[in-house]
Amino acid sequence: MTASDSRQRQAPFAAACRECEVEQGVDSANELVAFYRRHSRQTDHDVVVTRTDFAFDLPTATDVETVVAELEAHYENGVPLGAVVAATSEQGVPVGETLEELHDVRLTGALYEPRDDHVAVV
Amino acid sequence: MTRWNNGRDEVEPVSPDITEETNALPARYFTDPAVHEMEKETVFGRYWVYAGHANCIPDAGDYFTRNIGDREIIVVRTHDGDVEAFYNVCAHRGSAMVEETPMTDPGNAGRIKCPYHLWTYDLDGSLASTPKSFEDARLNPDLEDEDVSEPDAEENALMSVHTDRIGPFVFVNFDDDPMPLAEQAGSMKTELESLPLEEYHLARRIVSEVECNWKVFGGNYSECDHCQANHQDWVRDLELLESELEVNDYHWILHYQHKEDVDDEMRIHEEHEAKFYYFWPNFTVNMYGTADGYGTYIIDPIDEGRFQLVADYYFKDPDLSDEEAEFVRTSRQLQEEDFELVERQQRGLESGAIAQAQLGPNEHTVHKLHRLAQEAYEA
Ligand code: FES
Ligand SMILES: [Fe+2]
Repeated sequence: MTASDSRQRQAPFAAACRECEVEQGVDSANELVAFYRRHSRQTDHDVVVTRTDFAFDLPTATDVETVVAELEAHYENGVPLGAVVAATSEQGVPVGETLEELHDVRLTGALYEPRDDHVAVV
Repeated sequence: MTRWNNGRDEVEPVSPDITEETNALPARYFTDPAVHEMEKETVFGRYWVYAGHANCIPDAGDYFTRNIGDREIIVVRTHDGDVEAFYNVCAHRGSAMVEETPMTDPGNAGRIKCPYHLWTYDLDGSLASTPKSFEDARLNPDLEDEDVSEPDAEENALMSVHTDRIGPFVFVNFDDDPMPLAEQAGSMKTELESLPLEEYHLARRIVSEVECNWKVFGGNYSECDHCQANHQDWVRDLELLESELEVNDYHWILHYQHKEDVDDEMRIHEEHEAKFYYFWPNFTVNMYGTADGYGTYIIDPIDEGRFQLVADYYFKDPDLSDEEAEFVRTSRQLQEEDFELVERQQRGLESGAIAQAQLGPNEHTVHKLHRLAQEAYEA
């Protein structure tokens, strides 16, 4: 590692595509989702979250309704999608799968989107 | 006839007769930022717009805020028990005074105090006090203290906004000389006021941000030709062919008949049907056939391509029973299904392919919405 590398700040969040062997560091949880959207649009690959920087422990459930319910304690006005995918990714569920799951559960009426890319329990 | 966009943007005004070819609002009115800006005045600056529910601010000093277009208002319960509305703007140097306070979590203040230089207003808007520094001229060598007159309480009052009510529903109007609410609401006012709306309390509020123009959602709410294909769970218990659409001056009502007679206990109103009121420009009242309660939607534009749906649910007891919670969830499911439709429609409109769409003969409620929009733009 060079001196300049070590001075470089490590991004607090990162996601990776196993197939392409790329990892992307980002500044906020929701940018993980943005990275996924970009990457899957171009390559159709799913991605996993590889680094997070939350001030609290992520829920260990895998069903998204429970995950959102537990995360709501830490947020006002909706849980960022990035936090949800980070939690489920830790349990082995890739980002794209979780987003699909979230979409399905929204259609049942159990979740809603108080603002863009944030979800809450009805 | 649909007018495809051949690059010449040939469109015509919304025809008064629905059988004519050009019966829909041209596509650009759903996508153009300039139209959104214009609507702040021509639509939201002129008609009666729903602000909130009087039950949410029961005691003197209770208030919530609302943004309508660019205007920010405070809706407050006064000492006389009235509900009044003021611009959230200080008479001194124009500072906004209170922070955004939703109806679900109202604030309470004995007085309205501006945080900037502490001018303080009574709940009726009149200026109650100013700090000492506004009563003497000690820092200004050119003025004697005697030259300083006390600010007049009424002349320096907050700027009030016209309010009126349909039962507990509080409406505001920013026009200098608005048409009476009773005129805009017509029979909807008498119908709703015959119901014990104030015996019900806000139990849930679900706010969603949706990516389409507010009129796209308004149009979707106003017809149910899409229901069979898109709300299969919901239509199962409905007699869709028996439904009726009633069009009035500034509101229209969708009447839905249930297949089975619903239990009498299960609803607030008398008819054996569900009734959905759309009140121009952006308010709906949802009278369900299957719940002893009602709902309202506020379809609040954010910009030309986004709006916020504020869905409020009112029940006798704000603590929901399991059935009521399930009911809200089902209603939420319907919204979510509609969001898919309206966001897809917006995408199509924004693609630029279409210059002017067309409405079917049974989309007369949507036609009314488009006509009212055009009337507002032209006024
Ligand atoms: S601006 Fe409100 S007190 Fe000065
Ligand atoms: Fe619908």
